[in-house]
Amino acid sequence: MEPTRLLLVSTFLTFLVSSCYGSVLFSSLKSTLIVNASPKPGQVLEAGVDKITVTWGLNQSIPAGVDSTYKTIKVKLCYAPVSQVDRAWRKTVDDLHKDKTCQFNIVARPYNSANKTLQSFEWIVERDVPTATYFIRAYAYDSEGLEVTFGQTTDAKKANNLFVINAITGRHLSLDIASICFSAFSVLALFGFFFIEKRKAKGNQGK
Amino acid sequence: MSTGEGSLGTSLHGVTGKEEVFAFSVDRTSCTTDHTTKFALPVDSEHRATVFKPFSFAKPHMRTFHLAWISFFTCFISTFAAAPLVPVIRDNLNLTESDIGNAGVASVSGSILSRLVMGAVCDLIGARYGTAFLIMLSAPTVFCMSFVSDASGYIAVRFMIGFCLATFVSCQYWTTIMFNGKIIGLVNGCAGGWGDMGGGVTQLLMPLVYHIIKLAGATPFTAWRIAFFIPGCLHVVMGILVLTLGQDLPDGNLSALQKQGNVAKDKFSKVFWYAVKNYRTWVFFVLYGFSMGVELTINNVITGYFYDRFNLKLHTAGVIAASFGMANFFARPFGGYASDLAAKKFGMRGRLWTLWILQTLGGAFCIWLGRSSSLAIAILSMMLFSIGTQAACGATFGIVPFVSRRSLGILSGLTGAGGNFGSGLNQIIFFSGSRFSTATGLSLMGVMAVICTLPVALIHFPQWGSMFLPASKNPEKCSEEYYYTSEWTEEEKQRGLHEGSLKFARNSVSERGKRAVSTVTSPPATPVLENV
Repeated sequence: MEPTRLLLVSTFLTFLVSSCYGSVLFSSLKSTLIVNASPKPGQVLEAGVDKITVTWGLNQSIPAGVDSTYKTIKVKLCYAPVSQVDRAWRKTVDDLHKDKTCQFNIVARPYNSANKTLQSFEWIVERDVPTATYFIRAYAYDSEGLEVTFGQTTDAKKANNLFVINAITGRHLSLDIASICFSAFSVLALFGFFFIEKRKAKGNQGK
Repeated sequence: MSTGEGSLGTSLHGVTGKEEVFAFSVDRTSCTTDHTTKFALPVDSEHRATVFKPFSFAKPHMRTFHLAWISFFTCFISTFAAAPLVPVIRDNLNLTESDIGNAGVASVSGSILSRLVMGAVCDLIGARYGTAFLIMLSAPTVFCMSFVSDASGYIAVRFMIGFCLATFVSCQYWTTIMFNGKIIGLVNGCAGGWGDMGGGVTQLLMPLVYHIIKLAGATPFTAWRIAFFIPGCLHVVMGILVLTLGQDLPDGNLSALQKQGNVAKDKFSKVFWYAVKNYRTWVFFVLYGFSMGVELTINNVITGYFYDRFNLKLHTAGVIAASFGMANFFARPFGGYASDLAAKKFGMRGRLWTLWILQTLGGAFCIWLGRSSSLAIAILSMMLFSIGTQAACGATFGIVPFVSRRSLGILSGLTGAGGNFGSGLNQIIFFSGSRFSTATGLSLMGVMAVICTLPVALIHFPQWGSMFLPASKNPEKCSEEYYYTSEWTEEEKQRGLHEGSLKFARNSVSERGKRAVSTVTSPPATPVLENV
């Protein structure tokens, strides 16, 4: 029972630790950031090859002082609703701690309220990004690591200005060849043994 | 007694067709040790070992045991190898939840048919070639994962890999041939349980291999494909070991013994007919569907369940899933051992009650698991559930060897196929689509398991009785010989083809429980004439 008890205690503690972080609800956030991305609506990008240029900054029509709590900006690649259908591991949940909409980090930068210019970053689409329809969202975090505001390239319904990324296949010619060689070896070894044994048995019978 | 001793009738061996044609006669007392042979372990008259030494590799019994269970273990690893890597695979292949569910059903469906065929194959060409052919011909299907590029390819490959789960049948068949009935529950339980453990080990092994390959520089969508080379190579290595180190029977290989005339060749249609005609076969088909069937289903759904319901990290959920499968290491042998222990005191009735109790408890704890809303209670109920269900699997194969001797291969195959059929059925009814939440599905599956365990009460042996009824009072029917030789026609008996069954019948008198001790027998002076 000792391993089970250890597992129970450690799982319980992990649970406690994770619930220590406060949870922010997405519906409570107001959008104060402007985010733009280079892909045009409906454009198809190839993972590992194409680049996305993201620009972000504070919406200048926001009254001063609102951004005093912003410490870090994180820009993320997020799934559009059409790519979340029948895929619970990409579900949008209001509790941002459990939300799985935005799973890929593009860039993280510290926030400087004195700098009024738009920040930009060029990102090569990474090779572990799956085939799906996306938009881009930026979150601003306070000193405790909690989300305080956001901005995104699409509208509130996440319906327009979406683009598509095609994933790499992950297949390689060398892998295919190795696969064929190993398979052939298996089959040939089996039948080789079988026929050699049969011939030996016939030889023994003949004696 | 050997042929050289000049006992009455030995010079006429085989002439009238009524004498036994083997080089040694059979003792009437149950399970006497045969001292004339040079095996490392003590053996009975069929040369089956009467002692189980798990740390030995002695030829042929213990070596067979290790080859059998490791082959089966390897196939469990490759069948469920995709499950812990699904988070990567689903992104690479753009899978939906329906695709993943269908792949889960496909992975257990392939072996419904292959387990049936495997039974016949073992009866006809022996367990050694059966295992080697299956494991080496399914290696290409594992390597095929490197070609998969969409959902249909993924489902097809998982279906084909699933065929290799038929090694379960060859494993149980092979150990049953090598070990005496008194310890067969424990031996089959260990072989089956340690093989089933592969389903747990793979949840730890495949992510580990995947991470190492990623560290070596591969991108995720390539790394998981390379990871599949590990189970594939294991297939090839085990196949070669089985061919070079294994043998079908304690005395040698099947084809050699058949040519010497020591083992009769049998007809597939007859073997199949006697398996199908025996109603107990079908009772076990259903029973095993709700012990092994439940276990296979859990292998596919448990990681996702803990991940979603309790919001654990995937890695943590995987560790919990692994502990379900790893409990097999002691749970299934425990079931077999409990069956043997109960048989010592209460005979076959003890074995039947043990099976019913273990499987019902497993179902009950499954209901509890579905209703647990706290993580600690869920883990506790899952561990108790795993012990109950896996021990029931072990106890099942403490009884199956006694249902038929002639058709043991097909019977094992049908029982095993029932396990997979039950798993496919459970996944389709309770875990596909959104009719039930996974938690409700688990509880309902537990209820169905409890109900479908009731048919154990229907298993009745005329010579040993059943859960509630005693042995038959009919003096002709209440002997083990009558039950096992009724699988042969008169004409076959005249040709002496039933000798193997006779030997088995005598060795199985121990299933009478305490009554067997009081059976008084004396070896006859003349050669034994059966059913004249």
